[in-house]
Amino acid sequence: MPVSTDSARYTAWLERRCAVLLQLTLGMVLLACFSTLSFAAEENDLAGKVKDPGTQLWNEVRQREGVLQGTTQVAGMDSAVLINVDGERWRQFRMQQLIPAAGLALGGILALIALFHLIKRGVPVAGGPSGKYLHRFPDIDRILHWSVATIFIFLAITGLILLGGRLLLIPVVGDSVFGALASASKEGHNLFGPLFILGIFGLFIRFISKNFLASGDIGWLLKGGGFFAGKHPTAGFFNMGEKIWFWAVIVIGLVISATGLILEFPFFGQTRSIMALSLVLHGVGAVLLIGGAFGHIYVGTAGMKGSLDSMTTGYVDLNWARQHHDRWAAECEANDEVLSQSEVARAQGRSTLGEVPEPVIKGES
Amino acid sequence: MARMKFLCDAERCIECNACVTACKNANDVPWGVNRRRVVTINDGSPGERSMSVACMHCSDAPCAAVCPVDCFYTTDDGVVLHDKDTCIGCGYCFYACPFGAPQFPTAGAFGSRGKMDKCTFCNGGPEADNSSQEYEKYGSNRLSEGKLPLCAEMCATKALLAGDGDVVSDVYRERVTWRGVTGQAWGWGIAYPQSGSRTRSGRTGDGQE
Repeated sequence: MPVSTDSARYTAWLERRCAVLLQLTLGMVLLACFSTLSFAAEENDLAGKVKDPGTQLWNEVRQREGVLQGTTQVAGMDSAVLINVDGERWRQFRMQQLIPAAGLALGGILALIALFHLIKRGVPVAGGPSGKYLHRFPDIDRILHWSVATIFIFLAITGLILLGGRLLLIPVVGDSVFGALASASKEGHNLFGPLFILGIFGLFIRFISKNFLASGDIGWLLKGGGFFAGKHPTAGFFNMGEKIWFWAVIVIGLVISATGLILEFPFFGQTRSIMALSLVLHGVGAVLLIGGAFGHIYVGTAGMKGSLDSMTTGYVDLNWARQHHDRWAAECEANDEVLSQSEVARAQGRSTLGEVPEPVIKGES
Repeated sequence: MARMKFLCDAERCIECNACVTACKNANDVPWGVNRRRVVTINDGSPGERSMSVACMHCSDAPCAAVCPVDCFYTTDDGVVLHDKDTCIGCGYCFYACPFGAPQFPTAGAFGSRGKMDKCTFCNGGPEADNSSQEYEKYGSNRLSEGKLPLCAEMCATKALLAGDGDVVSDVYRERVTWRGVTGQAWGWGIAYPQSGSRTRSGRTGDGQE
């Protein structure tokens, strides 16, 4: 039957076609699997061996695989380095972190001090002035203190002008005035900076003996110096707060001094990376010290009544000493070092009631 | 509006330093200051490449960001310039710049820095175009005369290109396209690892392996 024959032939043809299709598909799948595997293997073989020369050159220039020094005919610092990778890092730190953080920290400390003063109104001398005095700081210590203080305040102001003046002062005083101010700040900062180093050494020599940790210091710290509780914790010549300030000034001061010297004299072969790192340490250290100085100045003046006398006249009221430095006061009283008003006046070279000043003063050593 | 760009083709630069000399000559750059320099990488070994580098006139210039007196400005042509009357010579731009472009003459005692000096794209400074004050502080202002920076104009191998960024990149793109077979095209080394791709240590293979 032609029809059945046709039908059978057609079925056979279809079967063959299907088989071919199936084989083809299977083959393709297998081939695909195999080629993928072999390609992956080949890629693994090549990985790390063959690099694109253009990419590799650029990676070297960008110093992604370590520091690359080329050669150049042009003399100068880092002139053989094509890309300075630390520059952008320093820029981001300075602009995004250091300047905003410095503003927040210093502004926050000032706000806290103002709030504290509004609540406490300064701690008065317990029992009022006694009319008796103790000799706390000799002339040399006070001269040293005020010298360092003057230099520090000058350096802090000029430094802050360079750090935040662009943000805060240019909108107020304008470009040209600020340009002159910033130029004077930079020159002044560089000129007086080295004197601060001498001051740090002076402070270290004069005050280190009184700033070692003594018994009772940790207790003083745990009680927060008696700032918030009513009872004043026990303390010697310097309390723990003063000792922390001393060591902060010495340690941070040395960091600032060292980095300042690196920045001020740029001809000892220091690279840009070292100078940027120096600027980071210099800035962070300076902000910490300025914040500390805010607290130090407040406590030394309005915060604790009677404190300022120790650094102006050198003499403090006995009641102030008993209140803030009880162990030192007791020691002085035991050694019979309490002075009357006229004795203090004579010691300062002022005559009272026509008395002739005596050259030798009791309690002066 | 044109966006001025430098481009140094490392495949063409032969480290002749003519750009450095041309720059110094065109701008009367002070002693000890080089606005442009040529740096050679892998000097003396196969794969050695040289590049001429100066201020790249960044869109987001780090020097301008860190300057404590805000003395930088960008012109309408995308050239980053600075005002030497405001500059205090602090060196911050030199620390921040990726390319080492800012230079400082030694101005006084103890090696203190003078006003910063850098490539101006031969476009002077804030003073009146081509005035003597401008020339004294910043050198020539070729751009205002319709000319491009002398360094690029004098480059013998046309490695250093300067001008509108679109034009410069078109020129470079065309070069890369036609260069093709020498293994400088991107990905050439991956596609044909046996056929003379250049690696760090120079040519490998050359079809021999």
